[in-house]
Formats: sequence, C-alpha cells, structure tokens
Amino acid sequence: MSTKSKSSDNVTKSNGNDSVWKRAFLPNAEWPDKEEFLDVIYWMRQAIGIVLGLCWGLLPLKGFLGLLLFVIVNAAVIYVYVNNFQSVDEEEYGGMWEITKEGFMTSFAGFLVTWIIMFTGLHSTSEL
Amino acid sequence: MWGDSLLIVFISICTAFLGEGLTWILVYRTEKYQKLKVEVERQSKKLEKRKEAHGDSLDKQHKKKIEREEERLKNNNRDLSLVKMKSMFAIGFAFTALLSMFNSIFDGRVVAKLPFYPISWIQGLSHRNLPGDDYTDCSFIFLYILCTMSIRQNIQKLLGFAPSRAASKQGGALFGAPPAQFK
Repeated sequence: MSTKSKSSDNVTKSNGNDSVWKRAFLPNAEWPDKEEFLDVIYWMRQAIGIVLGLCWGLLPLKGFLGLLLFVIVNAAVIYVYVNNFQSVDEEEYGGMWEITKEGFMTSFAGFLVTWIIMFTGLHSTSEL
Repeated sequence: MWGDSLLIVFISICTAFLGEGLTWILVYRTEKYQKLKVEVERQSKKLEKRKEAHGDSLDKQHKKKIEREEERLKNNNRDLSLVKMKSMFAIGFAFTALLSMFNSIFDGRVVAKLPFYPISWIQGLSHRNLPGDDYTDCSFIFLYILCTMSIRQNIQKLLGFAPSRAASKQGGALFGAPPAQFK
C-alpha cells in the first residue's frame, strides 16, 4: 500500500531522469533524495550477503575466516561503490560509518542463513 | 537435515508474513496510525532540515523553536508507539506460543551444521537442547532467529512498513523503532 505511494513518489521525483534501478547501475548518478540512495545501498547489501553466503557454502569456506572475509568484502564493495563508482559526498549521509552501517545486520543474518544452509546441504552429510 | 533447515526458512517466511499481516489488520490500516505516521515523518524531516540549517548558530530563538518541535515530535512518537503496543503484545503472545510449539517439534534435533565454531555466549543458543559436545551442531532456535532477522526486516521494508530513517533517527533512543525481529 505504502510501497505503491512510495514508488509513485520516486517516479515523480526522478521525472526527466532515470529510474532508481537504472541510476543505481550508472556511474556518478544524481541522487536528489538521500533515502533512495540509502535504499539502493540497503538492497545491494542484502544481495551481496546472499551471494557471498552461496559462494562460501559452495567452496566451502569454514570458520572465522569465512566471517571475516564476509565483513571485509561487504564493506569493501560498498566503499568502492560509494566512493569510486557513484562518487557521492559521504558527509551528506553522516559520514562513511553511517553508510557502512546501513543494512549491515540484516545482510549479515541473510549471509549466515545461506552459508549455513548451503554448507549443511553440500558438505555436512559426508562428515556425519 | 537439509530438509529441516529449509523447512525452518519456510516457517520463518510464513511467520514473518503472518506477523506483518496481523500487524496490518490491527495497526497499519487504522486511521489513527496512518495519521500519526505521516505526522511523525513530516516533523522528523522538517526538524532534520532545520537542524542542518541552523546547526551551528547559537540563536536562542531558533534553539527554542527546535526544542519545541522536538517536544512535539516526542509526543507524537509516544502516541505512535502506544498505538502499536497493544497489538504488538497480542502478536507477541501468539508468536511465543507458536515458537514453543516449533521448539518442541524440533527438540533435540540437529537442524543444520554450522560452518564455524560459535563463540561461547552464542553456544547456549546454537546448541540449545542438543545432545553431544559438537558445537557446530545447530539447534532450531538459532537458525530461526537468524532467518527471522533477515527475512522479517526485508519483508517490512519491501511492504513499506519499516519506519523511515529520518523518523527513527529523530525518535532517539527512547522511542526509536526497536528492531522488531526478536518478538
């Protein structure tokens, strides 16, 4: 219900420009609405979490190294995306820390779930 | 084992939708909630803009204005949480019952194998009611909590029920929207 109104908002705001999706993949896009950009970061994080969970489970990566690598890769991708790809002024969003925090816990939980499930399905039966 | 873990993911997707559905029926669709939400969001954004504009000025008049608005926002935030509270209690009870039911179904069953060795204060959760000393065995409750953490919040955001960033930022610690995943 409110999603509908939100998306129609987006359409009116980016009138003349491209949609949020298109801008997310365009380098140095304009972001008049801060919320939109943070939403892009949020959903990107979720996607990264699930993809990394799948990869770590397929490899399989184990132990603390897996967790550490996830945190590093996740933060690095977002950092490069914000600074180099979009070249956004991080101060506008309350500093890099605010951007790094955006959706991190949810993405971490999503990553753990996919990692655990892939690992359980592919590698644990042989050990049991 | 894989079937069990996939079943748990499915269960948490269902409970997340059920929870959001119930909250929609009891809270989100009510006129009072919608009015308050719009009001809080409008005020939060206004306050944020005003703070940005006059952040460094020590003008007393501006300060007073900002304080007055903060007070109003606080009151609205309190009303909003009160509206939410009643139904949250009802849903909380229903979910505790559901959770204890699932808990007894999966009691003593290893539902997944953890690819890492959990630290000691998580072991109580990840190895709850499980036999043996292999701490990489995962109990129902640990996987369920993880699933709920990711799925519930994403569903809330997808459906547009999550509180806006400005509102939760301005709401402060007292009435800021607490993550609803652990109910």
